[in-house]
Amino acid sequence: MRSHVQNLFIALFLLIPLSVSDVAADSLLAGEEIARRINARNEGEVVSRFITMAMTDRSGTERVRETKSLRKYFGKEKRTIIFYLSPSNIKDTAFLTYDYPEADRDDDQWLYLPAARKVRRISASDRGDYFLGTDFTYEDIRKETKVGIEDYSWKTLGEETIDGHRCFLVEQIPVNEKTAKELGYSKVQSWVDAEIWMVRQAKYWDVAGNPLKTLQVREITLVQAIWTAHQISVENHKTGHKTVFAFKDVDYGQSVKDEMFTEDALRRGY
Amino acid sequence: MASSNTTCGILALAGLLIAASALAESTPDDTISSQLSNHRFSAVLESEAAYGMARDRADKMELMFDPQWEYRWSEDTRITGIARLYAEGFDHLEPGRLSQEEVSPNSRRLQLGDRTDIELREFYLRTRLRGMHLTLGKQQVVWGKADGLKLLDVVNPQDFREFILDNFDDSRIPLWTVNAELPIGGGNLQFLWIPDRTYHRLPQAAATFAFSSPLIVPQAPPGVPVNLRPLERPNNIVMDSDIGMRFSRFWHGWDLTVNYLYHYADLPVLFQSVFLTPGGPTVTVSPRYERNHLIGGSVSNAFGNLTVRGEAIYNTDRFVLTTNRRDGDGVIKSGELAYVLGLDWSGIQDTLVSFQLFQSWLLHPADGIVRDTLDNTATLLLRRHFLNETLETEVLWLQSVNQGDGLIRPKISYELRDNVRIWTGFDLFYGDRNGLFGQFDRNDRLVIGMEMGL
Repeated sequence: MRSHVQNLFIALFLLIPLSVSDVAADSLLAGEEIARRINARNEGEVVSRFITMAMTDRSGTERVRETKSLRKYFGKEKRTIIFYLSPSNIKDTAFLTYDYPEADRDDDQWLYLPAARKVRRISASDRGDYFLGTDFTYEDIRKETKVGIEDYSWKTLGEETIDGHRCFLVEQIPVNEKTAKELGYSKVQSWVDAEIWMVRQAKYWDVAGNPLKTLQVREITLVQAIWTAHQISVENHKTGHKTVFAFKDVDYGQSVKDEMFTEDALRRGY
Repeated sequence: MASSNTTCGILALAGLLIAASALAESTPDDTISSQLSNHRFSAVLESEAAYGMARDRADKMELMFDPQWEYRWSEDTRITGIARLYAEGFDHLEPGRLSQEEVSPNSRRLQLGDRTDIELREFYLRTRLRGMHLTLGKQQVVWGKADGLKLLDVVNPQDFREFILDNFDDSRIPLWTVNAELPIGGGNLQFLWIPDRTYHRLPQAAATFAFSSPLIVPQAPPGVPVNLRPLERPNNIVMDSDIGMRFSRFWHGWDLTVNYLYHYADLPVLFQSVFLTPGGPTVTVSPRYERNHLIGGSVSNAFGNLTVRGEAIYNTDRFVLTTNRRDGDGVIKSGELAYVLGLDWSGIQDTLVSFQLFQSWLLHPADGIVRDTLDNTATLLLRRHFLNETLETEVLWLQSVNQGDGLIRPKISYELRDNVRIWTGFDLFYGDRNGLFGQFDRNDRLVIGMEMGL
C-alpha cells in the first residue's frame, strides 16, 4: 500500500514538471506561432464597412475623410478596395490592392485619381510609403489586422496586460536590410491578445532605430461571430501627426461581386 | 437644331427605358448606410488667378463653382448631375461672346454676358442590367495611361482655353454618350456610341492662348488676304456619330487594353485654296472635320520600384499642313503610328520621378509638310510630398525634341484645411515661336489658386 502511495507521489512528481513546462510553453508561445495564429484568425470571406479617417497634425488641425471599404478573399488572395466619399474635393479617389499569399510575389496596387480620371498603377515596393496622408503605410492598409510573417524574424519577449487583456509581447525584426527599408521599420513590438489573436498595441522604430509610431486597437467586439476592431489609431512620434480609423456598419454577410475588385470598378466609383 | 432635339429625345427615351428595366430589376436599397441617404449633394469651389509676366498684366481671374447632385436608387443604380458656374474677371482667355461653333447645341454653355456662363458638365444615369454596366448621358470617358499628352485619351474633346495648362478634368469636354461595359472573358468589354458632335474648343484670334504656330495654323504669304469659310460640321446624328470599343484585362500582372475608335478627329482640317481675283490672289481656308479610325492599346505593370506604362496607336487618317505650293489643298493625308512609353520610379519615400517619351511617325509623308516625319516629345515629372501629403511640390517639364521648345511648370500646393487646398506655381514656355510650346513664349505666367470642397 505504502509503495503504491509512494509510486503515486513519484508519478505526480514526475508529471508536475511536464504540466509546468506545458504552461510555460503556452505562455511563451514562439513568436512565429503567434504570428501564424494572428493570420489564422477568421476575418470573414468578405467584409464591407465605412471607415472614417481622422488625421490630426501637431498643431491640432484635423482632416477627416469618409470612405467605403470592401475586402474579399479569392482563395488565399486578398483583394481590398477603398472609395473616398468626402470631402468633395477628393471624393471618388479610390485605391485597389491584390495581396498575394506567395512571399516572393509582389502585390498589385492601383490608385484612381479623379483629377485625372485615370487609374494609376502603383509600385508594390512603395509599401513603406504612407497611405494618402495617413500614418498607416500601404502595407498596414493591405494587411489590416494581419501580419507579414515572412518579413520579420519573430521573438516572444513575455506577457503583459493591455486594457485588461492578457497579451503576448512579441518583437519583430525585419529579415534583412532591404525589407527594413521597404517597410520603413527596423523593429516592431506587438502586444497580441492571447485569447483572440489580435494585435492590441504595437510600437514601431524607424530604420535608424528611433521610436517612430505607436498603434492602438480599440473597441474590439464580435460582429457576426468575428472579432472586429472598431477603432485603430496611430500616432507618429517624429511628426506629432495622428490618424484614427473608425469603422462603422461592419458587415461580413454582404454579397460583394467579384467585379468590384477591378480597375474598371475603381473608375466607376462607389 | 431639329436633329439635335432628336438626339436628346432618343437619348432621353433610351435612358428612360433602360432605367425602367433596371429599376424593375432592383429594389430600393435599404442596406446602404445611414451615412448615404439617397440624395447626395456636394460642391467644389475653385478660384485661380494668373499674372502674365511678359505682358505685365493680370491674365486670368477665374471662379468655378461645380455643384454635384447624386440620387442613388439602389446599390447599382444612380443618377449624377454636375453643373458649372464659370466667371472670369479679365476676359482675356475667351474675349467677348463665345461662338461655340465647335460644340453641338445640346452641349453649349449658357452665356450670361461676356465673362460668366453656366454649363451642364455631366448628367448621367449609371445602372446595371443583366450583368452589363450602363452609363447613359453626358459624361467623360477616359482611355489610356499617359500623362500630359494624349494618344488614347481622345474620346472626349478638349477645351484649349488655356492650351494644355488647365487640368484635364476641367478641360475635357463631356459628351452625350451611351457607354456599355460587359464583363467577358475575365476582362471588361466597353462599347461607346457618341451621337454628340462636339469637338475641340479652340481659342479665338484675340485670346491669350490663340494658336499661331505654323504646325497648326496655315501661314498665308505676306500681303495675301485670307478668307476663312464657316466651319463645316458633321450633321447626321447616326452616320456622323462616333463609336468606340475597348477590351481591358488584368493578365499575369499586366493591365492590358485594346482600343478602337471610329471618330471625327477633334481638330478641323484647314483645307486651303488660292483664287486669283482682280485684286490679286486670295487664300480661302475651309475648315472641315474628317473621319479617322484609331486602333491602339495600352499596357502597365510594376516591377519593384518601377512602374512601366505604355500606349500605342495607329491613326488611319492623319491630316498635316503642307507648304508645298503644288499641293491642291495645302493638306496631306497620312497614316500615323504613335506610342508613348512611361517609367515611374518611386525608390525614395514620398517621391515620384516620372519620365515619358512620345514618338509619332507619319507613314506617308510628303514634300513640304510642316512637321517632321518622326516627331519626338519627352516629359519629366518630379514630385515630392511632405507633412503627411499636405504639402506637395512638383516640377513638370515638357520638351519637344524636334522643335527644341518646351514648357516648365514648377508648382507647390498645400492642404490648408480638411477641404481647402491652395497652390502657386509658374508656367514657363520657351523656344522657337513656330513650335507648339514656343508659340506661347510671351505667355509665361505666375499662377495662384484655391480649391474648396463644400
